[in-house]
Amino acid sequence: MEERLEPNEMIIHLGPQHPMQPGPFRLNLRLKGETVVDADIELGYIHKGIEKILENKTYLQGITIVDRICYLVALVNEECFVGCVEKLLDIEPPERSKYIRVILEELTRIQSHLLGIGEFAEFIGFVSMFMYAIRERENVVGLIDMVTGARITHSYLKFGGVRDDLPDGFKEKTLSVLNGLKKEIDNFEQMFHTDRIYRERTVGVGVLTADAAKNLGVSGPVLRATGVPFDIRKNEPYLVYKDLDFKVCTETAGDCFARVQVRLNEIRESIYILEQCLDQIPEGPLFPENSLYGRRTPVMRVPAGEVFHRVEDPRGEMGMYMVSDGSDRPYRVKIRGPYYPTLQALPPLIIGTTVADVASISGSMDGCTSEADR
Amino acid sequence: MDVTEILKSLTGRFPEAISEAIVESEIRARAYVDKDGVKEVCQYLKDSLQFDHLCVVCGVDYIKRNEIEVVYHIASYNHPVVLMLKAILPRENPEIESIVSVYWNSNWYERETYELYGIVFKNHPNLKPLILPEDMLGEWPLRKDYKGFPNKTARNLV
Amino acid sequence: MGEVKEQKTSTSDETSVEEVPGVITTTASAISDFLKKTKAQDLINWGRKNSMWFMTQPMGCCGVEMIAMGCAHYDTDRFGIIPRNSPRQADVMLISGYVTKKYLPALKRLWEQMPSPKWVIAIGDCSISGGPFYESYSTVQNIDEIFPIDVFVPGCPPRPEAMLQGFVELQEKIKAKKDLGTEY
Repeated sequence: MEERLEPNEMIIHLGPQHPMQPGPFRLNLRLKGETVVDADIELGYIHKGIEKILENKTYLQGITIVDRICYLVALVNEECFVGCVEKLLDIEPPERSKYIRVILEELTRIQSHLLGIGEFAEFIGFVSMFMYAIRERENVVGLIDMVTGARITHSYLKFGGVRDDLPDGFKEKTLSVLNGLKKEIDNFEQMFHTDRIYRERTVGVGVLTADAAKNLGVSGPVLRATGVPFDIRKNEPYLVYKDLDFKVCTETAGDCFARVQVRLNEIRESIYILEQCLDQIPEGPLFPENSLYGRRTPVMRVPAGEVFHRVEDPRGEMGMYMVSDGSDRPYRVKIRGPYYPTLQALPPLIIGTTVADVASISGSMDGCTSEADR
Repeated sequence: MDVTEILKSLTGRFPEAISEAIVESEIRARAYVDKDGVKEVCQYLKDSLQFDHLCVVCGVDYIKRNEIEVVYHIASYNHPVVLMLKAILPRENPEIESIVSVYWNSNWYERETYELYGIVFKNHPNLKPLILPEDMLGEWPLRKDYKGFPNKTARNLV
Repeated sequence: MGEVKEQKTSTSDETSVEEVPGVITTTASAISDFLKKTKAQDLINWGRKNSMWFMTQPMGCCGVEMIAMGCAHYDTDRFGIIPRNSPRQADVMLISGYVTKKYLPALKRLWEQMPSPKWVIAIGDCSISGGPFYESYSTVQNIDEIFPIDVFVPGCPPRPEAMLQGFVELQEKIKAKKDLGTEY
């Protein structure tokens, strides 16, 4: 990027301030006319050093910190962290807690996808779609708020269970919200399919083939839009996902349109999972019986060991590698966020396209810079 | 693919580079790898054993043993086995071969490990800081003996 | 004093609009009355306080709530608070999260690009006191020594209602202002 430019070339910087991307990053584009010749990403504008902070907090305090890795999917981050500690402690939450966790994580997936779709629409100038998506998201966030008491950072999961039971009337309210959402998703889909300008901005733009996607190491909707049915919920079932009936949504085109379509279909699948969970959820305690762990977690010393736990984030594969040395604080936590490899795969995708398509391709990745920076 | 078969194939192919290969569960396995043989082992994993997805590369600082470990988690898009490979490096001048030519997405992970731990990845195409500002290079903030950690500049600390 | 109130007169019954909660409707005659009995300073303040356009630059958890606040459900447009993407068109900067050593120069540049008069709102514990990341090696502490912050909105993250309340407090502050407020 620093070598001499040819006479008809120039460098433009996108960012670090972005109006809609939740978190700043900088994209340096080298242009020849309107075509992108070279691209380079600078990260770290909101690097908080979460991994270092986690090493100096006790396990219980760590839950509040992992909430803020990616604030759009705080509950999934918690699930990953708590899952690691539970594997090290060799405890398992009772059935009811597992169902409550699945319910909340699927609600999180729905609201994250809704925000992702809305942001993408905003990126390509479809602002009214953004307003529609956020309107629906508020209802779903309201449901999470009803259970956890917070809108985006919850600190709700505990080791061996969840903090509180579902409130009265949760099932009825959820079903009514989900029924409204189903109709809206159909509306969204119809809008996306019939809008000519939208189709011209997305169909055939930023095409990724299955082999290229595997080579770039991406996961989540970006990978599934190329036709690879890779989903941690199926490959490596955690919680009660192996008892639930759902399918992995794939598309074959691999362009921006297919990525949005995968997200829309996943919202439908999540609604289906939620309906099953609300029917099947058993009565019972929230924490394992005859164990130390409960709402008031004791001072914990976690046995020495190492564990790598993976969960399915709305953006792809989320993993955490935790090393414990037997004390009350983790020795090392490495967070493998799903958006990190996706963001890394952006420059190869946008080289050769035009500047107008950069916003479209970047938006269709459904970014959360905070998780890439940590 | 079965996890024991994978480890058997791996140790059979690289009897010297792979040591202490252990099966942890049906979907997890771990092994120590010699620091000179990382690239060949990864190439073999990718070509012959369907390990085509690199999850993460990270460093761990074991200050008591005076060692730094580089940990690779390698998974697959086809089967659920995750293999954890560890390479042990000395704490002074840690150097290891880069695997960017095998797994493309290890590029940023290696850059990040370099700036946080000071591990030099040889033959890396573009080894420069990724997330830290330029002037913090050389402080290696995630090492255990980093001095700047509890940052005392906040005025309203109790 | 210093406030335009809706005045319903008997002659304008057929043109009077329906009352919408939270919305101040004005008529031409009300503005004319107001101009006759007020100072220019009050008029300027009234104009400023009712068109606070804020710059959207989500920096953290609070940024997501900021997006939610600017959208249909909470509808800040009824207070004249409109999200703008460019610093050149904005009056209010929201510091919505942790400021890192790497981002501080960019944030200063954004602040300098905004035309006067301009205001800053610090949203969330991170920008007020460091929040959960007060001991991090990468963040900058004591933001209020760097930017002239007008309103602090605590919370981790504050709910959109709290952010709206922050804007209302800023309106009060602007209303009471005595100078021309063009310099910072």
